[in-house]
Amino acid sequence: MVLTLYGNPKASCTQRVATVMHEKQVPFKLVTIELSKGEHKAPDYLEKQPFGQIPVLDDDGYLIYETRAISRYIAEKYADQGTPLIPKDLKAKGHFEQAASVEQANYDAYAGKAVVEKVFKPMFGQTPDDAVVERLLTSLEASLDVYEKILSKQKYVAGNEITLVDIFHLPLLSLLPLTGRDVYSTRPNVEKWAKGLIDRPSFQSVKDGVRSTA
Amino acid sequence: MVLKLYGFPMSTCTQRALLALHEKGVPYEMVEVQLHKGETKTPEFLANQPFGQVPYIDEDGFILYESRAIARYIAEKYASQGTPNLLPTADLKARALFEQAASIETSDFDQYASHIVMEGLFKPMMGGTTDKAKVQDLTSTLSKKLDVYEQILGKQRYLSGDNITLADLFHVPYGVLLKRAGADVLDGRPNVKRWFDDMTSRPSWQAIKSGSAA
Repeated sequence: MVLTLYGNPKASCTQRVATVMHEKQVPFKLVTIELSKGEHKAPDYLEKQPFGQIPVLDDDGYLIYETRAISRYIAEKYADQGTPLIPKDLKAKGHFEQAASVEQANYDAYAGKAVVEKVFKPMFGQTPDDAVVERLLTSLEASLDVYEKILSKQKYVAGNEITLVDIFHLPLLSLLPLTGRDVYSTRPNVEKWAKGLIDRPSFQSVKDGVRSTA
Repeated sequence: MVLKLYGFPMSTCTQRALLALHEKGVPYEMVEVQLHKGETKTPEFLANQPFGQVPYIDEDGFILYESRAIARYIAEKYASQGTPNLLPTADLKARALFEQAASIETSDFDQYASHIVMEGLFKPMMGGTTDKAKVQDLTSTLSKKLDVYEQILGKQRYLSGDNITLADLFHVPYGVLLKRAGADVLDGRPNVKRWFDDMTSRPSWQAIKSGSAA
């Protein structure tokens, strides 16, 4: 039975998972959850995802949520096809986990919130708090200064091969310019890495809206 | 050569790594980092941990930072000793449910708990004044998340199933400080309380808790 992904075509988290599906050449069916209609808070949706968030993956009745968990599951289940995305060697795996933890704590914690505040809130008719955005972007830039150093010594965040963790950064990398802060032009290594990721066919297939491939 | 853990006993993130080391029975030597003397911003320190944070490990020259990555590395390397299945590897689906729980910990707990503790406990300890409205706001969001934990933990003993994993233990260092920080959120939900008390009564936490600010 084909994999079913419950999510929204324009949502970054749905795009994160869909990018991984494309990298691993895994067909999937997208079932759209309309956030504007509150479908993510409907009782039958909450049965699948008790936090009322998107996306959720249904693999023939096996349900899994949290984009990074879904992505890891796909990357492991389909390890032998598409782009290899999780290293096997213990020490390489250690560096992969290090980068994965940095992505959540030192990147997404700032970038995700900044984009929500500055870019998504207005889409729903709310006013962004510019002071909050400034603080978040300043913290993000401090992290990106470290990324600049790391990426001067290696091609990707966990080493010289692309991994899932690079992909995790993707949807936000393409949205950061919309916050009005130029984080790339003073950081050539980060810019090169980000552009390389954005140009990947997997992300290009989803960035304007995720569609079913099955 | 014995593993060196660079951190300090009161550091919540150092405690996270310590829990894994104790659960797996791995000998280590703690090298105390003088945070208040600015040690984490020295070139020597930044050469090993470029974000200027604690902890990191030096295992015979192999450097690894981010407490969750350290814990995962220890759990995988020493899979066959100490508490079993802290990081389930054998079964893909069990592994994915672990990843789901690990992602919930960072997105739905740590995000709020760490800021509540910083604002409500560490800030006054360092001579600052707590922004009570901020703590209340974060506590309100965390409470809603814990309502979902209460549901999940009503059906199973731990966050990813009936066996304890790292994803559960990751909650402990900030969890024990929430009440003191002004967020009494763990006691009022019977399943959450049962789960949390179970973890803090484990020998691993008992062995290190004297370093905690709780």
